[in-house]
Amino acid sequence: MYGRTILSKTVGTKSFSILSPLRAKSTPVAEKKTANGYKFEQLSPAQKAYLDRVIRVDQAGELGADYIYRGQIYVLSHKYPHLRPILDHMWKQEVHHRSTFNNLQLKHRTRPSLITPLWKLGATVMGVAPALISPEAAMACTEAVETVIGNHYNEQLRCLANQFNISKTDGSKDEPQEIKKLTDIIKEFRDQELEHLDTAIKNDSHMAVPYKLLTEGIKSVCKAAIWTAERI
Amino acid sequence: MRSYHPISKDYVKPITIEPLTYTTDSLQSKVLDHCLANNVPKLGFNEKAIVQSINQLGLSPSIISVLGASNSPSFVHSSPAVLELIKYHLVTKRHELTKDIPQENIDRNNGLPTLEELLIKRLQMDIPMGNQLTDLFAQLSIPSQYLMDTALPELFNLADDMIYFSNEKDHFDMAWYTKRLGVSFTYVTSKLFMAQDRSVDFSETMQFAHDKLYNVMKLGDYYNNAEEFAWYTLMVSANLIKSQLVRK
Repeated sequence: MYGRTILSKTVGTKSFSILSPLRAKSTPVAEKKTANGYKFEQLSPAQKAYLDRVIRVDQAGELGADYIYRGQIYVLSHKYPHLRPILDHMWKQEVHHRSTFNNLQLKHRTRPSLITPLWKLGATVMGVAPALISPEAAMACTEAVETVIGNHYNEQLRCLANQFNISKTDGSKDEPQEIKKLTDIIKEFRDQELEHLDTAIKNDSHMAVPYKLLTEGIKSVCKAAIWTAERI
Repeated sequence: MRSYHPISKDYVKPITIEPLTYTTDSLQSKVLDHCLANNVPKLGFNEKAIVQSINQLGLSPSIISVLGASNSPSFVHSSPAVLELIKYHLVTKRHELTKDIPQENIDRNNGLPTLEELLIKRLQMDIPMGNQLTDLFAQLSIPSQYLMDTALPELFNLADDMIYFSNEKDHFDMAWYTKRLGVSFTYVTSKLFMAQDRSVDFSETMQFAHDKLYNVMKLGDYYNNAEEFAWYTLMVSANLIKSQLVRK
């Protein structure tokens, strides 16, 4: 205890040190306040890396959703015209989600997933193939995909709520504005994805013939895709 | 590679320029700045230039071992201090390139320079040390940890900055990568040309960079047109098959 106080005193008042001019100084920066309050400390590299990953995986995911619905519409809209407005409605929402994440990606200068062409191809196949079996199979596919996406968004929301309480220059802690915005976006999108899940169940997704096989297969494919898109 | 960029106006300004670990008013920056401005153009990127700067600034010679502290020593490179000098050169020049452009609320449609202007501006920054570029290239391209940790990331950061801070269209698919690769490639080839260039004020280099960038961007157009055509053909043939099926 005694030693420590001495040390802190000497460090604070040391008049000469070879190393002191070499250290990064934490001199108070002149402008600490913005129009709407105090500024935040810098995000840590880990926090930046997490946000980077969130934007990349969500962008890739919404791109996938866009292509899945496109594939379903392409196959189903002529044979089953009554499904057209339902699919169209869901597809338009997915397009909006996708463009939102595209804008976030450009704004925050993160990189898109390196295997974007593969996602496009895979998602088209995932949209077209079940739709070729039957409209119920297509709905089962929607159900599986939206279940995984809903869970995934919830995980992200949990992490954003827990890990982004940043200190401010006046000593208080808060979430930065951009994190709040991102949370709101993800919440809104999660609710819409779960709406799609309900729509799929209402449209007889449980009647699909190899129901278990289809949904479980697609779920595991989606999980693998999420794992990959977060990293590559 | 680059990661998430927060909206900087909400945060305290960082005191260092990433990836440098010291502030701009630190002793390291003072020595390296002095060296780049005064001794590198004559002596090149080597220990001699750094030692001269240290002497001219009246500092203790032991400073040279402090300068290289953030680089690991390597058998293939000359010294960690020289590596730091090169890193400092790359990072500060990149920073200087976009310093005057407002960092917030970028309006892509007006007020931004073109990609070519930024490229030429960056090349012109190296005119004073034009004779030392061969040396610089040799140091940068040796296969080593330094190449992976500093040289290549800095190159891609530069390309990313040039695209972000110019009025060039940015992308959210593979074109994001190809455009950055194209710009990096243009920059490196122009730099190589510059190392051999003996024309007045490196005018031939600037012409070369202009042509190269034009060609690379044209390549992008070729690709887009080919993709459009392939998609069109695919859709037309799919519809043709569908219509034939309906007829039967």
